[in-house]
Amino acid sequence: MKRRTLVTGALVLAGLIWAATVGAMFQSIRRFETTPGREAAARVSWPAKSRIAPARDGWTLVMLIHPHCSCSRASLQELERIIELSGASLHTHVLVYRPADFKSGWEKTETFQAATHLQRAHVVVDTDGQEARLFGGFTSGQTFLYDREGALRFTGGITSLRGHAGVNRGSMDVVDIVHTKASRATHPVFGCAIVTNIESEQRP
Amino acid sequence: MSERNMSDDAGFEARATEIRNEQLLARRVRVDRMFTWLFIAQYVAGIVAALTVSPYAWEGKVHTIHLHVWVAALGGAGIIILPILLSIFRPGTTLTRHVIAASQMLFSALLIHLTGGRIETHFHVFGSLAFLAFYLDWTVIITATIVVAADHFLRGLFWPESVYGVANAEWWRFLEHAGWVAFEDAFLIWACVMGKREIASSASRQAEVEQLSEMEQLKSAALEMAMAEMQSASA
Repeated sequence: MKRRTLVTGALVLAGLIWAATVGAMFQSIRRFETTPGREAAARVSWPAKSRIAPARDGWTLVMLIHPHCSCSRASLQELERIIELSGASLHTHVLVYRPADFKSGWEKTETFQAATHLQRAHVVVDTDGQEARLFGGFTSGQTFLYDREGALRFTGGITSLRGHAGVNRGSMDVVDIVHTKASRATHPVFGCAIVTNIESEQRP
Repeated sequence: MSERNMSDDAGFEARATEIRNEQLLARRVRVDRMFTWLFIAQYVAGIVAALTVSPYAWEGKVHTIHLHVWVAALGGAGIIILPILLSIFRPGTTLTRHVIAASQMLFSALLIHLTGGRIETHFHVFGSLAFLAFYLDWTVIITATIVVAADHFLRGLFWPESVYGVANAEWWRFLEHAGWVAFEDAFLIWACVMGKREIASSASRQAEVEQLSEMEQLKSAALEMAMAEMQSASA
């Protein structure tokens, strides 16, 4: 009798844990995946101090990537789709973050390799996120699109959630702008921080 | 004579039902045990997937354990604790297999999240439904389907990007996804009904053999008794 009561109690407790876990788990995942990263303080025109030259015969797209950010694989998948849909007029630069005091090779992750396999894209190692600061970006996956005059036309992310590839407003806007020369657009960016709040305050 | 036949028939039916229930129970206890090991294997696989796909969250050069690892370790444990305890302490019961069905579908949802929504991971749902059909209880398939449909409906309503990839998906899109599950369900439910019928048929045959064997034993006993009487009379 005592054992039966004990077993029933354990099962009821397990039932409560089960229900609570399911609710809490999906809520925490939802919050994590839907919370965007820090919005870029994007420059309206191409930053003159950048060591990357903007294309004068087409569009220039710049994406910031943290090589160890798992969510950024989805951003690169979307970028691949954008490159395919946009044609040769789009010149792409992927800036891969690496802290200066970390040994060379730290950035050579699967994400980095995926970036090197993109068609018509140049991969540049961005030491300490210096280029990211020049462009005003803080978050991995942050994308900037500049026209041939060097004017900013799109800023934001190209995924719908953290780590979720698939059709979304951000990537559709980039393709629309390239094809129709539509006006400017923005979209939330989802990814790990490249330049933290403290760093951006210390070294503007 | 007729009354005796009716009594025999009732006894035969009762014995056939008893054998069928015993066989179904033994089968369902075995499937409960199979799911216990499957839950443990999935739990380990979930943690390995989280550690492989997204071990850390990064802020510049600082990294912390990724939320997915915690979700796989703690959330995964939370999902499997109830079905495992039920399969140990209440094996073969209706409640156990329905909780197992719901938990298995929730684990599918968890694995889909941990692998970043990979379309290939959605096959886990279809594989799980096939495993649940081992119970030969079609109501379990319905429970699993309701969990899948509810998950898609609620996420489609409040969080459409996570399930359909676009933010402006129509509210009825969950029906399209659930429709593919229902397609598989139709065949699994048919398989469950047929499997149960086969067990009932096999139980009837076994009861018949038992009855015939019993009758043979009675005849033999009567014959031995008659021979013994004849021998004692001749002596």
